[in-house]
Amino acid sequence: MQRREFVKLAGLSVFAAGLPISSSHAQDRFAKYKGTSLVLSIPSHPHYEAMIRLLPQFTALTGIKVELDKMQMLRMRDKQLLEMSKPQGDYDLISYIATWKTEYVDKNLLRELAPFFKNPQLSDTGYDMADMVPAYVENIGLVGGEKGYLSGPGARLYGVPYGAETSILAYRRDVFSQYDLKVPQTYDELHKLLYVIKDKARIGALTSRGQAGHQCLQAWLLHLNPLGGKVFDYKSGVFSPVFNDDNGVKALRFLQDVVQTGPVGIPSYGQGEMMTAFLEGQAAMYLDATAIFGPVRDKTRSRISDKVGYVVHPKGSRYSSEAGGLGLAIPRNSKNAEAAFLLLQWLTSKEQDKAVCRAGGSPSRVSTIADPAMTRQFPEFAVLREQIKYIDPDWRPMIPVWDAIVDQALGVGISNALIGASSPAAALNGEIPKVLEIMRSAGYKA
Amino acid sequence: MRTPSWVPLVYVGPAAAVMAAACLYPLISGIQLGFFDWSMGTPWADAHWVGLRHFRTAFADPAVWSSLRVTLLFAFVCVTAEMSLGIALALLLEAPARAMAFFRSMFILPMMIAPIAVGLTWRYLFDAQFGFVNAILQHVGMAPHAWLADPSLSFIAIVVSDIWQWTPFVLIMMLAALASVDGSVLEASRIDGATWWQMTWRVKLPMVAHVIAITLLMRVIDAFRVLEVIYILTFGGPGDATEILSLHIYKAAFVSQNLGSAAAISVLLLAVVALLSCVALRFSNPLKQEKM
Repeated sequence: MQRREFVKLAGLSVFAAGLPISSSHAQDRFAKYKGTSLVLSIPSHPHYEAMIRLLPQFTALTGIKVELDKMQMLRMRDKQLLEMSKPQGDYDLISYIATWKTEYVDKNLLRELAPFFKNPQLSDTGYDMADMVPAYVENIGLVGGEKGYLSGPGARLYGVPYGAETSILAYRRDVFSQYDLKVPQTYDELHKLLYVIKDKARIGALTSRGQAGHQCLQAWLLHLNPLGGKVFDYKSGVFSPVFNDDNGVKALRFLQDVVQTGPVGIPSYGQGEMMTAFLEGQAAMYLDATAIFGPVRDKTRSRISDKVGYVVHPKGSRYSSEAGGLGLAIPRNSKNAEAAFLLLQWLTSKEQDKAVCRAGGSPSRVSTIADPAMTRQFPEFAVLREQIKYIDPDWRPMIPVWDAIVDQALGVGISNALIGASSPAAALNGEIPKVLEIMRSAGYKA
Repeated sequence: MRTPSWVPLVYVGPAAAVMAAACLYPLISGIQLGFFDWSMGTPWADAHWVGLRHFRTAFADPAVWSSLRVTLLFAFVCVTAEMSLGIALALLLEAPARAMAFFRSMFILPMMIAPIAVGLTWRYLFDAQFGFVNAILQHVGMAPHAWLADPSLSFIAIVVSDIWQWTPFVLIMMLAALASVDGSVLEASRIDGATWWQMTWRVKLPMVAHVIAITLLMRVIDAFRVLEVIYILTFGGPGDATEILSLHIYKAAFVSQNLGSAAAISVLLLAVVALLSCVALRFSNPLKQEKM
């Protein structure tokens, strides 16, 4: 036998011998935790409704039972903080909104995930973290870096995207076709369309969030970023508010026009009302999170299932789409941290990322979005493949006091502008002192 | 045989202990929290003393005064309407006829619904696109409104939902009070030629004045504590048009994570409610009736 043949045969033999070992390794990974019960904190959200349908498979595979504590999304934080601050809490795994990550890590409430991924007894060799959409991982999972919430020196992984979102423009193909309208690629085109649709089609042009607080802030940020604005300018450890500059005012003025030309009642709309207005045919366009994909397809919820097209979030001075949504993390006081990691790893694996999309959820992996079979089933993935290039991980400042800034300052000022109680410039200028006070009270240089 | 003076204490003791645990301890803890800076999720040992800073900030904060103004207006409008409607309905429904028993049951139902469900129901009723209220308005030829998107209309919306839910409470209190009125007094006034209005205004209502006072007091206190319905209906918006003080406190505690500040504002709210209660009791003094 020649040397080359011998090496080839030896390699094949080792590979073949390893096959039963690798599949048995998967079973060995779970065997120790069979019979364990995990408690998972999740929001009421389309992606997690889809996840619920997959959990029986996990239990059948591993013998690990999963109990769910489902709450309204914005209410999860109170309960999670309470549970995670106990010596031993009720939650083994939590779903969290991206903006909460710095507060949770600051308070030492989460476990770092790198040790789990490095543990050969637990990690799945086929997991492939690099396949996750990089901007999602940075925005949702990493804490550290120069600003404290992005990649960079000292950044560590505390969460994995699951229910991550970016923004996209959905539009009614039938309305655009009927009135011979061009699908907007830029903010100028989009702005002109608002009044055209309102006048011609006699339905709302663009649906939007608008309720005071987090909702109207989210709506404003969607336009602030592509129009070239930012909330803070960061230099050498100092956060300087710049949200009241020309770009900030322009974004708020645009949002006022959306309210004027949109479905009636936008200043009271949360995410649910915004989606419902589009799904019920009350608006010709939707520009917000990709969580709309599943509900549009769901004929029990949508009157417009076969009439929706998608394009990337229009360009202002730049392309810049939302980075946000939900991720999974393991509380420091979890009673079953290793089993929880197995669930986290399974849910976010390549196979389950595709499965959750088929059940009505959102993709977190590039391979899912690029998969030809998935794209045939979900044509919107072709647009999403383009959109993920423009996700801005620094879409909003995810500092621990961000919620306080939204609740006490920006969320009130912007809401006042939307109902005409103040001009955009006055509304934003008026919030500068409060924002500076909040930042300085929290110890930031501002 | 004379009962020893310690015997009543034995009977009252267990209940007093429960009250102390369930009411006094949280009250004292809340007041204590107002003097500290502490965030949920951190150990209490990390809290640091700030003295009167939160109280000074609360007094100087325009948002607190705005919330207090909204709260006072909300309480005044709601309690006035609920007391008027409740007493009127009670006078209408007090007759012992069988049909009246059915209507009494129907009118009491809103009070039994959880406030969260009430908030959700009225949110849908007031929806600008799909709401039943706008459907009725359009049916009678009036223009629909964006109820929850307009500062004035959203205030009306929260008032209407509160009146709908809590007028039944006034109703059952008054029905019970009217049922206890001595029939011979009413018979005597009837024989004397009193009209229905004279009997109601000069005989019945004065005889139940102590119940009216207690009911008024309870409604005032409850109106200051409303949270769930407004949380669901408007979340304090649009702007801060419907942000009552209890919602402001909730946001300070659980959204902004500033528990010390929230506790300080709670103490101020307690002081306002206590003051109003004392004024109400001073003028009505329900115990005066008993002493007479």
